[in-house]
Amino acid sequence: MLSLSSLISKASSLIDPNMLPPSLLNQVNGSSNDGQTPGFLFRSNFRLPDSENPLAVIPCELSLPTGEHYFGRLHLSESFLCFSSSAPSSAAGTSSATTSTAGPSSCGFSLPLVAIRRVERLHSRSYLFALAVTTWHNDQKLTLQFNSLRSTCEKFCEALKKNLRSQMSEMKNLRMLVGSCYSEWLVSGGKIREGMKEEPDAGLGMVWRYPGDAKKLRDKSKMRLWAEYLRENGRNITLIRQPTFHKLIRVGLPNRLRGEIWELTSGSLYRRLYNPTLYTDTLTEFSGRHSLSIDEIEKDLNRSLPEYPGFQSEEGIGRLRRVLSAYSWKNPDVGYCQAMNIVVAALLIYMSETQAFFLLSTLCDRLVPGYYSQTMYGTLLDQRVFESLVEKTMPILWEHLVKSDVQLSVVSLPWFLSLFINSMPLVFAFRVLDVFFLEGPKVLFQVGLAILRINGEELLDVTDDGAFISILKNYFLRLDESAHPRSDNEKLRAVTRFQELMVVAFREFSGITEQTILDQRLRHKDSVLSSIESFAKRTTLRNLGPESKRLLTADLGYIYDRFYKVLYERQERLLAIEAEKERINEKKVVSSGRSISEKSINEKGRIGLGPSSQLMDYDYFREFLAGIAKWAIADSPSSLFSPGFEPTFGRKKSILLSPWGDNAEPADHEFMQRLFRRWDTDYRSGLSLQDVVAGLAGIKGKKDIMESISYFFELYDDDGDGKVDREGILRISEALLFITRRGWETPPGIGAQDPKSPEGGKGNTDPFLGSVSGFIRRCFEYADPDQEGKQEEIATGVEGMDELVDLLDLASDDDDDEDDDDEESVKSPVNEKGPANDISSGKGKEKPDLAINTGNRRPSAMSANAALDPANPLHITLPTFRMIVLADEVLEYFFESGFAESIVLSTDVPRTPGGRSISGPSAFGNFGNGNIAGAKGLRGVLDNIVNDGMRVAQEVRRRMDEAQKEMERNAVPGKYKDDDEEEGDAKSIMEQDRDLLKGAEAAVVDEAAKLAKPDPAAADEDEGSGSTSDHRGENLLTISPSKANAEPMTPGGISPRVEFDIKTPRDF
Amino acid sequence: MSEGGPKPSSSVKLVLLGEAAVGKSSLVLRFVNDDFQENKEPTIGAAFLTQKCNLPNRTIKFEIWDTAGQERFASLAPMYYRNAQSALVVYDLTKASSLTKAKHWVAELQRQASPGIVIALVGNKLDLTTQSTGLEGSMGGLSLSAAANSGADGDDDEEEEDARQVTTAEAKGYAEEEGLLFYETSAKTGHNVSEVFTAIANAIPESTLKTRGGPGTGRGGAGGSSGDTFGGTGGVNLSAAGETNKDACAC
Repeated sequence: MLSLSSLISKASSLIDPNMLPPSLLNQVNGSSNDGQTPGFLFRSNFRLPDSENPLAVIPCELSLPTGEHYFGRLHLSESFLCFSSSAPSSAAGTSSATTSTAGPSSCGFSLPLVAIRRVERLHSRSYLFALAVTTWHNDQKLTLQFNSLRSTCEKFCEALKKNLRSQMSEMKNLRMLVGSCYSEWLVSGGKIREGMKEEPDAGLGMVWRYPGDAKKLRDKSKMRLWAEYLRENGRNITLIRQPTFHKLIRVGLPNRLRGEIWELTSGSLYRRLYNPTLYTDTLTEFSGRHSLSIDEIEKDLNRSLPEYPGFQSEEGIGRLRRVLSAYSWKNPDVGYCQAMNIVVAALLIYMSETQAFFLLSTLCDRLVPGYYSQTMYGTLLDQRVFESLVEKTMPILWEHLVKSDVQLSVVSLPWFLSLFINSMPLVFAFRVLDVFFLEGPKVLFQVGLAILRINGEELLDVTDDGAFISILKNYFLRLDESAHPRSDNEKLRAVTRFQELMVVAFREFSGITEQTILDQRLRHKDSVLSSIESFAKRTTLRNLGPESKRLLTADLGYIYDRFYKVLYERQERLLAIEAEKERINEKKVVSSGRSISEKSINEKGRIGLGPSSQLMDYDYFREFLAGIAKWAIADSPSSLFSPGFEPTFGRKKSILLSPWGDNAEPADHEFMQRLFRRWDTDYRSGLSLQDVVAGLAGIKGKKDIMESISYFFELYDDDGDGKVDREGILRISEALLFITRRGWETPPGIGAQDPKSPEGGKGNTDPFLGSVSGFIRRCFEYADPDQEGKQEEIATGVEGMDELVDLLDLASDDDDDEDDDDEESVKSPVNEKGPANDISSGKGKEKPDLAINTGNRRPSAMSANAALDPANPLHITLPTFRMIVLADEVLEYFFESGFAESIVLSTDVPRTPGGRSISGPSAFGNFGNGNIAGAKGLRGVLDNIVNDGMRVAQEVRRRMDEAQKEMERNAVPGKYKDDDEEEGDAKSIMEQDRDLLKGAEAAVVDEAAKLAKPDPAAADEDEGSGSTSDHRGENLLTISPSKANAEPMTPGGISPRVEFDIKTPRDF
Repeated sequence: MSEGGPKPSSSVKLVLLGEAAVGKSSLVLRFVNDDFQENKEPTIGAAFLTQKCNLPNRTIKFEIWDTAGQERFASLAPMYYRNAQSALVVYDLTKASSLTKAKHWVAELQRQASPGIVIALVGNKLDLTTQSTGLEGSMGGLSLSAAANSGADGDDDEEEEDARQVTTAEAKGYAEEEGLLFYETSAKTGHNVSEVFTAIANAIPESTLKTRGGPGTGRGGAGGSSGDTFGGTGGVNLSAAGETNKDACAC
């Protein structure tokens, strides 16, 4: 048993890298979304765009026109044909794939299919399968002899043929690209060729001189050597890399060719080939626009290689500005990072703007991934990698540094970040870059290690950062001096320190390969990200603004975690869903996918990687709320059976296809929309962390009940005039019921005192129903009519009142339950608010007597009912609202603490929902009791209304709607009736049953919900906040919370009768 | 100006923090080389410089870490302020937002850096404001800063209108609250630059110095807790500016 488990752990440690989630791998590699998969290695070896995938591979012998022969493998991708020779010395087949292009002794090419003019099948020897490839530069003919089964060869050729055909359309791009290449100019001997009007742009150096002494650099001889190489081995797009190519690069590129070779060896040339207008298009598209990045760029334009004369000119600065801006637009996640200005400035000395633009994006995506990102995680990660390499290769030095508390990255970080450009004299930095673009990021590490190795002895004497830095600073300044000034050997004396550095870097540290770096990055990634994240959290929480002080630190931390969790999990889920969809409608492989920024999509999921989005839209917000407040969880089957509202965040990918993952589906209620809008202080339709914190502080940070009441009132005071109209009153009551529908913590003594309510206390909504209905009644009772409304009342008052009374009396006899469900809810009149001078109308605002069974009941009830008439606009003010709330101890308690406590942050003891996440039987328990029998006449009606606030909410609204409709149609005052108590009672019990059955009989419920036409939620949707309605297919089987709660009456019972009333006005 | 006798010498690690392009590197350049460059390359990561500062009874050797200002470099900062005994938090007088950033840095330092770190709040680019003593600024009051805020961006400095966006009173009030040293400087003219460093040198409690100095105490009552320090140096800022000037430091 023991041995087995140890075996398993051993095995898992071996396969560990593969067990990491793919997203992690992507981030390490920066660009591709499949990590160190064959696809990634393939692209990175051949420097291909991310859209390329290895489609076919075949062993093959390459014969060049110059006479060389190489054995290797021929690869085919969507738009490239690539060859890499198997390095003769390298051990096994596995390594041949990884070292092919970088190895100095190898040969290879990455030939865009569009650059192939012709492919012929050679018949010389029938038992061999060979192709002759003629490339764009006619003078070249490559012979490829396949060493494989005939069928494999045939298949490869078939695929090649197909892809060749699909690439025909790119021909125009190819011409443009070739025309802009300096190599063409060079090979033609400086003569103007077809398509070439003038000498191609080889950077600012053409005008402002290239750094260094051209003579000393032997620029002319280098140029000649290159001209020869390019003539024989193809150039730019068709270039074949032979060992000489590597040597030529190692000795330093000639000035005018440098830009192009950088482009070629880094692979950015191919990006440019397929996106010929991307740069200029981007500039056009965003011209004149502003962003933070643009501001930051402006600040640094004058201070980028300021000593180079080109950057003291408008022209140079203009180029720099355009390249940096274009990139910041194209990749807003990175935007602009200091050091990019220096790198780009350096590039611009040797290449055109367009070239620099594409090279910059290749740098950011592939060569130094994450270096310039928002959090600079790539920089920090590579520092960690560098440190671990120093520890491994120079343990004594490392130990010394640790002992003397010298932080290595303090000196090495700028090396990496600016690619040595601002550490070494420019001429030498460019030499490093020459190799860097050819061989990749490992070069930075090799050079860095070599610097430490060469200065090792001196560094061992150092005990503080300062001395450490100054030794290296001095070293860089003397790179051009002889490495062995006192040697007798003249040759040795001629070796400069820089040459020595290169030799040490690439010989002594040749063991540092691309794979080393990738592995190391993977190993340290997590700890680096975590430390960035904890720093970010600390800083963010500290700077959340004054509002945040009202919450506890622990709560802030909790909100922070929740906020980003929701943000990133949701983004990941959406991506997964997107990817799933993509996979389903595949088939458009080739043409898409060459834009620069799209690969960065996969770089999300951790704050440490740089926040991609900082705003929560409404859906995110719902999910966020659902995690901290149980009322924000939808009453859908999925959440009903999820274990309470306790956040469960197992990241099972299987449930990914739901937009909510395996989290409970959040509710969608008008109240939540109001909260969202209230918190969205900048009207961005999105909430920042700061918004959320301020918002929660507004609710939870309030100690004073008055503040809490005002907060709620303001939520419903849409135009901020200090009044809430009839519609608003109803919505408030809906919201109150919505929030408490799963029960809430009632204080001991409240609610429980009612002997009729079976359970009392916890989770009991009973007292709340009563309170809310009382609330509505009182609201209407004490509401102030608007002025126009008042006049209206005077005009139609008497008649209307009488009618009303009649109706109410008669209604109770009405038993008709004719089924008719095409009832339409009509919006209540849009607030026709009168001037505010009628506040004093004084309908007993200060009246303390709110008892129900008093003698003056009838008039007040009548006025309340008159208030139902939409023709009489009315409103309540904050003082009224306050008074009404304070008159009811349950409501008072709710605003005192219940509301705030319904949102659970870290410090609150999570309340156990006790498995009953819906309002239990007690919610409607009162229905069986009470005054049904004697409920005739107005008084009975009112009493019963009081018994069920939810019914009131709904009923009142329907009546208003009906009346409104009626008036619109007939200009006849609306008729009112009340429901039959017994019937309503029976129905509501069914309602409650339905709640319980919801999970199993969702379909039935749904049907019922559909029947419930005159429904407040529907009215909400009409009002066009848009997001109220459920568009998602998976929600078809659920009811929205407002339907389930604010409208608990069985739909079948009510609507038909109302319908009946309308059809038969004045019949009685 | 240093006297004949050998004075105890000790090194003090100082870190500069603040928003990008407020003039951190320029302040250091002025202090170390008494020089000014119009277009200073942005600092990548951090730069390291040293400079001695002679006090009457001791010599302080500043090891200055000049950090990059751009927001995203913030996560590197802990690497640099680690073990720092003093910090210069710099903002740009002509840019209100830079003071906010400075406050963030102060909060960060107070919580994360070595306890007892001496922090100086420095408003730089005084040369861009119409008053160069920094005294009148306080009279402009809030209305002035509000006006400047709503106005065009800070680049219009050469206009006849004052480019100042942060009043002396505001920043000084904040510094007082937090127990920071406070100065308004101009790296371009050199105004108040060496004073800042001298004041910091004075404020470093001797107990925290690596090399113990003589029994003498710091000049002018400086050297207590940072709260005490403020009271002493608030006056230096304005009145003693002329006297202490260059001679205080061996620049």
